[in-house]
Amino acid sequence: MKKRGDDTLETPITSMIDIVFLLIIFFVVTASVDKDVVDESIILAQAKNAPAVEQSDPRTVTVNLRKDGEINIALQPLSLSQLKQLLISMRAQAGNSVPVLIRCDGDTQFRHIDRVMQVAASTGLYRVRLAAEATGM
Amino acid sequence: MKRKSADQLAVPMSSMIDIVFLLLIYFIVTAREEISEAHLAVNLPSPGAAKTDEVKPKMLEMQVHANKLYLQGAEKPVEEIASTLKYLGSLDPDQTVIIQVSMSARATDLVTALDLCRAAGLDKLNVMTLK
Repeated sequence: MKKRGDDTLETPITSMIDIVFLLIIFFVVTASVDKDVVDESIILAQAKNAPAVEQSDPRTVTVNLRKDGEINIALQPLSLSQLKQLLISMRAQAGNSVPVLIRCDGDTQFRHIDRVMQVAASTGLYRVRLAAEATGM
Repeated sequence: MKRKSADQLAVPMSSMIDIVFLLLIYFIVTAREEISEAHLAVNLPSPGAAKTDEVKPKMLEMQVHANKLYLQGAEKPVEEIASTLKYLGSLDPDQTVIIQVSMSARATDLVTALDLCRAAGLDKLNVMTLK
């Protein structure tokens, strides 16, 4: 009786470990994807009607803009002049159709957004987008 | 011999499962749900262009202030602007919308305005700064 109980206990364990390892690998892989670009402290404004983007241009320069107007790219803080230098070099590398995505906090004042937009416009990058959270559909 | 190796295999199993479950719980807790992003395209006035104050009649003019939206110079609630834009958008989806944003407006206000235009099918959106 005791022996039989051992057998029934032992059989699902190996398959369970398989499943658990698969889950772990899944979480490890999904956790590391584009973690470096997203600034977690930014809470995007909500857009009800705009469709969610499935895939964006891989050349996109993502500029994070915090509530207090602090600019960073991939969590590295930049001043406006550094941002300008970076956009100029991006333009030299990949042409002026490089999209610039501004991920700004919903509470960011437009004066801060405007400064980033002016820098993008002055470097000749005209494809500027604002990121928002797609809540509709 | 066979029994002994089966025993040796069984002993580290349970502790390994403990570790594995801990790892699993760690990743479940730290995993954030992904928010789906929408990217709203805007046109910027080119810096060198001469500033023309005259607005062509075909253009729609919108003003964005903090918590306030103006359409063609009159402040209106969001629902009314949405239905007006839908009507105007159905007449001519190619018309340009000039969105003048006040410096003190927040990103939410601008995103609302851009979103309403998108919903109305208008996608020529020029964002300008309100002096």
